[in-house]
Formats: sequence, structure tokens, C-alpha cells
Amino acid sequence: MVLLAVLITSPMCNAQVCIYELQGKVTDKHQRPVVGAIVRLLSTSLGAATDTNGNFTITNICRGKDTLVCEAIEYKKTRVVINIADTESIQIVLASGENELGEVVVKGERLQDLHTATQTELSGKALEQTRGATLGQALKELPGLNSVQTGPTLSKPVIHGLYSNRVLIINDGVRQEGQQWGSEHAPEIDPFIANKITVVKGAESVRYGSDAIGGVVLLSPDDLPTQKGITGDVYLIGASNGRMGALSTSLQGAFDKALEGLSWRIQGTLKDAGNFSTPHYYLNNTGLREGDFSANVGYKWKGFDFNVYYSQYNTEVGIFEGAESGSLKDLLIKFESPRPLTRSFFSYDIQRSYQTVYHDLFKASSNYKFHNGGKLDITFGRQKDLRKEYDSDLPLTTDPNILKEPQLSFQLITQTLDLIYTQPNKNGFTGSFGFTGTTSGNVFKGIRYLIPNFRDYNGGIFAIERYSVNKLTFEAGIRYDYRWLQVYQRNPVNLVLYNTTYEYSNITGTAGALYHFNDHLTMNLNTGTAWRAPSINELYINGVHFSDASYEIGDSALKSERSINTSFSVNYTSDKLRSSIDLYYNNIWNYIYEMPLAQPVTTISGVFPAFAFTQDNVNIKGVDVSAQYAFLPNFTYQLKATVVRGYNETIHNHLIYMPADRLDNGIEYHLPNIGKVSEPYVSIDNISVARQTRVPPHTDYVPPPAGYSLWNANVGCLLHIKHNSLNIQFAVDNITNVAYRDYLNHFRYYADELGINYILRLKYSF
Amino acid sequence: MNKTRIVLLTTIMTLVIFWSACNKQEKAVAPPVPGNEFITTLKLVATNVADSTDMVSCAWTKLNPNDTSAPDTSLAHMKLRANAVYNVKVMVLDETKTPPLDITPEIQDRENYHLVCFTIAPGLNLSVQRTDHDTNTPQHEVGLADKFAAGSPSSGNLEVVLHHQPNVKNGDCNRGSIDIDVNFTIYIK
Repeated sequence: MVLLAVLITSPMCNAQVCIYELQGKVTDKHQRPVVGAIVRLLSTSLGAATDTNGNFTITNICRGKDTLVCEAIEYKKTRVVINIADTESIQIVLASGENELGEVVVKGERLQDLHTATQTELSGKALEQTRGATLGQALKELPGLNSVQTGPTLSKPVIHGLYSNRVLIINDGVRQEGQQWGSEHAPEIDPFIANKITVVKGAESVRYGSDAIGGVVLLSPDDLPTQKGITGDVYLIGASNGRMGALSTSLQGAFDKALEGLSWRIQGTLKDAGNFSTPHYYLNNTGLREGDFSANVGYKWKGFDFNVYYSQYNTEVGIFEGAESGSLKDLLIKFESPRPLTRSFFSYDIQRSYQTVYHDLFKASSNYKFHNGGKLDITFGRQKDLRKEYDSDLPLTTDPNILKEPQLSFQLITQTLDLIYTQPNKNGFTGSFGFTGTTSGNVFKGIRYLIPNFRDYNGGIFAIERYSVNKLTFEAGIRYDYRWLQVYQRNPVNLVLYNTTYEYSNITGTAGALYHFNDHLTMNLNTGTAWRAPSINELYINGVHFSDASYEIGDSALKSERSINTSFSVNYTSDKLRSSIDLYYNNIWNYIYEMPLAQPVTTISGVFPAFAFTQDNVNIKGVDVSAQYAFLPNFTYQLKATVVRGYNETIHNHLIYMPADRLDNGIEYHLPNIGKVSEPYVSIDNISVARQTRVPPHTDYVPPPAGYSLWNANVGCLLHIKHNSLNIQFAVDNITNVAYRDYLNHFRYYADELGINYILRLKYSF
Repeated sequence: MNKTRIVLLTTIMTLVIFWSACNKQEKAVAPPVPGNEFITTLKLVATNVADSTDMVSCAWTKLNPNDTSAPDTSLAHMKLRANAVYNVKVMVLDETKTPPLDITPEIQDRENYHLVCFTIAPGLNLSVQRTDHDTNTPQHEVGLADKFAAGSPSSGNLEVVLHHQPNVKNGDCNRGSIDIDVNFTIYIK
């Protein structure tokens, strides 16, 4: 067996600081990845298992000599002494063994990215257990996160009580720009493209730009391969509820000789579901169809790294038939009925009302590494988002062409350009500075009015500097942003075009510190600011929102929101316990929300309560706790708790739509490996959510739903088939088939949440 | 570094071209779709079965469906003779068009998933019977044509609701969603 290690570090600090990270890859002699190999450091027993691409990452490594041990089924155990130090680059070649495991490539040992802001990550097994779910549902697994839903198929991530335009989604380095303002506008992303999802919790405008008031969701695909050969993954997922099926495949490869440096990946996903079911009835017209693909080509040449990427997302989603409200009276009739009034049945058909969404992204990026260790990154992105919404009734017309048209259609085309320079590490200082620019144009077409057209230009410059000395790291940054917005409208009477121009500019900053007490304990404190300009719906919406039975009125005089978020985290890691506590306090000035008006609006379809967009000063505070404790050999207990409190300081009352208290805890039992079956496990989890009692009076039609408690179970293992592997996982969600409703689901007025769901997930890696 | 510069410059130039290539579709705001129709008015036209010269009507109107202004209810009342029977036609109009456009035939075309329901306030001596039927199997009433039987002199509110019941119509009012929901005052003298 051959173990090849390349260690790359930069000189940094001189004390015993355990902030190094070891990344690598284990392959067989044919350079195919070895899955499930255990790589660990002898001194600390810190270690990691390789994922389906053979990659592993070990964090919190101390400086100095250590022995790296690599074990894998059917292969000979390998040891190598490595020196984690201020070395530029070293290669270690181990003696070959009989079983010809091949090699372990430690491709990069580097300093961990030290962020003083609070972060959490979904990857590896935890991410695999969410495959087939939407992005919003998948992220619910993380402490501090919830999801806001419109029925079973549309969900958006909620970070520390904030969502929609207050959460920024970055897809492989590009800001996701879609129609993000409505609760039924789910992120237009195929979660299968990501092999790691990082969530930065808190105000992070300095690094990521405007809108990062609640936080940032970063989706990262796996790195393109560097070694010759073709590898791939096939996911096959089936779920009983909704009779949902999903197939996702990716193929990747690299070349050698004349084409060395060239690598590629293609990926595609198909998903189909019919009517989902609650414990007692089906939710008619909740099916969905999705088809996505992406292609990526990379080329490394000397110090350059070029990358071109294209992805396309297509979906058609039915809107639950029972959630159509013509008026407040309609809504209350539906709420009072214990089940939807119409016969429920299963069907894959999608009827009116439904929505179709198309999103594509073209990205071209390149970076250059200078001889001094600095790096210049340039990224261009162009994305198009096209959303069409079809109401339950056909348009009222005799014109056959108009009959085919959606009632609402929005097209948003966005170009982004980012230029970032990362400076080399010098005397403990590292940092980056750069420019980001975006422009987008929105074209609204609709049979009924909702929002006007607009064009915006945004530019920002920022600089972030970090300084590490001994056990302490400081971080500070500053940013200036400018936004120009022009809104195009037509006078409804004489049809004359006119426009209105807005300008916004903001300075944001961040400062934080991280302290490593010892190998086990770290603390970090961060204060960050963020801002967000009012979105087009908040400025100009005017009309009935049918699923909420409300009449919404925009305010074109709204100002920017600004927030200052302070977070404090403590992390403790040992052999048996991994735990973290995050505390935060987010103060938001000019927070935009919908305030109920005393006077309802009378339309021909009935009387609607009216809500006007307004702004107040609010604060959101809370605590996220997570812990994993190996209390017995082979047993792990895990706990995740999320508590959020929102308060409106202007009107001295609670803030609406804050997530209720949530506790998720469970036990996992790891069985011993049997033959070719490795890492078998069984786990059971309980999710308990309290009733939300902190709601402002007279703002909701019905009180928040009662709390609930759900049980979920999982079993899984990894099967080795020659040099390939099959990951098998079987899950049962809501085992006791509890009927419940969730405060953050907009369809809680109309129907229960999903009942029992059996899910089988297979992943074949070759 | 010469090569570096060339590559960088080319990259930036390409990006600038991409950047400026964006067309400004948003400036051409789409005018209102001419063939599209709005429901602005619900009108009831009642003809006395015994005396065709006794024809009365009432109308509820809101010309702009997209504003918060109060509706025009100046004509939302009607006088019926006591102990008389009337044939009533429910009419749906688009009065943003000149002359006003009658949308009732389009609703008639979609009668298999529409149902008109009437709620009579206590104290108003009126009974309402739908007289038209759709082509569902089995057939259900529609309610665009009705018989109003006025009793002894009284007055009160009559609520008229047009329900939209695609594929779920069974004669019940509570199904589907509400397209029109308006109130009239009926005087029986």
C-alpha cells in the first residue's frame, strides 16, 4: 500500500495551537477512491472516515509530530509519521503492501478557516440522511435553523427566526438571485449538487453583501477530481408519502498526459411525487415534478485555475387544493373543518393552481496563485429565474391565447461579478479584500397586478483582516455598499410610462475574536452588522394574497433595514463529547413587516383583512445547543435545541412568525462491521416542538397550533462491492403517525402536516 | 507575468461584454392585456312572474379590483312586492369596458364548477330556489337563474356568493373557494 501525502502550510504561530486542518484522499492503486477508510492521528485519536469520494478532513490538529494511521476493509493497515509544522510542502511515500490498497493522499494540510462568526455545517452522513428533501427541510437538521413552509413541497430555510430576503443563499460562490420575497417562493436549487452545506448564523454583510441579516447558506459541491479516471455516484430514493421517487446521478473525471489539469463533472436529478398524505387524508394537488442538471469543466494550468459551470433547475409544483381562500370567511370555514371538505385521493396529476419555476446559472471563474502565496479570484455569474403562477380558475376571457397564460409571471435576470484578492499569511496577518457587483432586471407579466418591473445595480467593496497570535485570533472587516434601483410602471388610466429611482448606501462592519483555551475548548465572540434594502414587494405590492386571505399594501417610502448581531459560542470537543452553545442577540432597526390595519378591504370576492408594510425596531435573541456524547461504547446520544425570542421594541410586543422552541434528541447505536458490511447503525430520534405562545395580539386569524412530538428512526450501512460501495439507508419519519400542525407552515389554517413516511435511500459510488 | 496579464485582460474583457449584453426588457412595461376581463359588478335582475312590467334590479360594483377604495353600493338594494314570485337572473359584469361587458356567459360555460349560494338574513321573508342545472352527472343546480318568493312585508340582508368548485361540486356551498361575495338589502313591501 502506498500512502502519498502532500502537506501545505504557511508559517503562522509558534505556540501549541491546535488549529490545523488535514485534508486528504485515500485511493486504491487504480486511483479509485476508497470509501469508509478510517484515517486517524495516533496521539489524539482524532480521526475521520473517508466519504464516498475517498476524501477525509481532520480538524483541530495540533502542531508537531504525529502518526497517521489508515485502515480499510480488505486492505493492509498503514502508518506514517507526519510533521505538522510550518512546512511548505512535503511528500511521504509508504512502502507497498500485498493487498495493494494504493495510496492515501493528504492533499492539503492547512490552517482551518478561523471564523469568529458562528457556523454550522451539514455534510457526510447527516447530509445523506436528508437526500430527497428540499433545501429548507434538509437544513432543519441544524441547531438554530427552522423552515417556513407552504405545504409539503415548498419550504425556505429560517436562520435564527429570519428568512426569505433576510437569508442569503450562495451557490458555489454565486449569490442565488430568484424570487425570494414570497413565502411560497422556495429556493430554486437542486440540493443534490452540494456535498457540504455551511450555515453562517448572524449578520454577515461584510463578506457576503446585503441581505445577510439572518445569516448565509453556502452550498459547496465536491472539488473536481485531479486524478485520471472516471468516478460517479447514483442516488435512488423512494418515499411512501407522496409515493415520491428521486434519481440523481453524477459522473466525474480527469485527464492526464497532454490534457493534464483538465477535469469535468456532469450531474442530473429527476424527482416526482404525487399527493402527500397526512395521518387521516391526502393533500389533493400537492404533487411535484423536478428535473435538473449541471455540467462543470475545470482546468488547472501553472498558477491558474479556470472553471466553467452551468446548471438548470425546472420544477412544477401543485398548490394544495384546500388552501385556496377567496376571502376571510372562506379561510375560517376551512380552518373550522377538521379535514378538507373534498374527497381526498392519491394522484400524480398536477391541476390548477400550480407554479412552474425555471432557474439557470452560468458561472465562469478563475483564480491565480501568486508566488508570494496570495490569490486572486474572479467570478462571473449570470442567472435567469422565471416563475409562473397559475390560479385555480382559468383567466376570465374569450381569447384562447390568454387562457393559456399564467395569472402571474416574473422573470429576473441577474449578472454578478466578484473580484477578491486573498493576501498571503505574513507575521500572523491574513486577509482578503475585493469588489462585488450585481445587476438585475425584473420583468413582471400578469393578468392581475402584483409587483412592477425594476432594474437595480449594486456595488460593494470590502476588506477583512485577521490576526493570530498564540491562542488568540482577531478578525475585523469593513464594507461599503451602494444600491441603485429604478422601478418602471404604467399609469393605469392613460397608460403613460413613468419611473421612480431609489438609492441606498450603507457601511457595515464586523469584529470578532476566537480563543483556543486548549485542544478541547474554544470560544468565539463576534459582532457583525448587516443591511438590506426594501424588496420590490415591500415597496409596491398591492393586492390579495389568496393563500393567506389577506390584502397586502406596500409602502414606497420604506428605508433600509440595518442590524447589529452579537454572537458568542463555546465549543468543547473531546473523545466522547462534541458540544457547542451559541448565544446571540440581533438588533434590527427599520425591520420591515406587515402590520394589520383596522379597516379591512372590501373586494367583490369578499372582505379581506388588510396588512400594510411598515417598519419598527426589533430584537431577536436566542440560544442554539448541540451535543453528541458517546456515553457507552457504540452508543451516541445527540441533542439539538433551538430557542428564539423576537420582540418589537417600537410597539412593545412580540414579533410575529418566530419559530417555537424545538428540541431534537436521539440515540444512535453503531454495530460492529460484519464482513463486507461496514458502519451499520440504528438510530431513533424524537423531535418536540412547543406551542408558540409569544404572538402579538390581533394579527392572526386563528391561534398558533398546539405543540407536538414526533419519533423518527433510521437504519443504515455501507456495503463494499469490489472497489465500489453501496450506501443503504432506511428511515421512518413520524413513526406514530401523529396529526399535527406547525406554526411556520402557511397551510396550518387548512390541513395537518405529513403522516408516517417510509424512505429508502440508496447511493452507489463507483 | 506578461502571459498573466494577457489572460487576465481577456477574462475581464469577456466578462465586460457579458455584463453589458444584458437587454433592458424591464423598461417596456407590459400594457394591460386587452382581452382580459375583470369582475367588477354583480347584478340581480328580478321580473315578477305575474306582472312582467314589475322588473327591478340591484347591483354591487367595485370598478378597480386592485385598490383599497370602498365599493359603490348605491344601487345595492331592491324592492320586491309582498307575496309575489320573481324570476331572478344573476349577472356578472365587467364595467371597466365601454359598453359594460357581460361575463355571465363565460361563467355559464364553466357552470359545472360554479355554484351561486344565497344567505337570507333572519327577519327577511324571502325564499330562494335555484332553477337552472349544470351538465354534471348527477346534475347539480347552478343558481345563475332563480325563483325569489317574497313573503309578508319585511326587510333585510341578502348575501350572494359565487363559489368556484373545480371537480368538487356536489351541491354543497362550503366546497371550493369564493369568487364573489356581496351583500344586498331587500325591501319587501
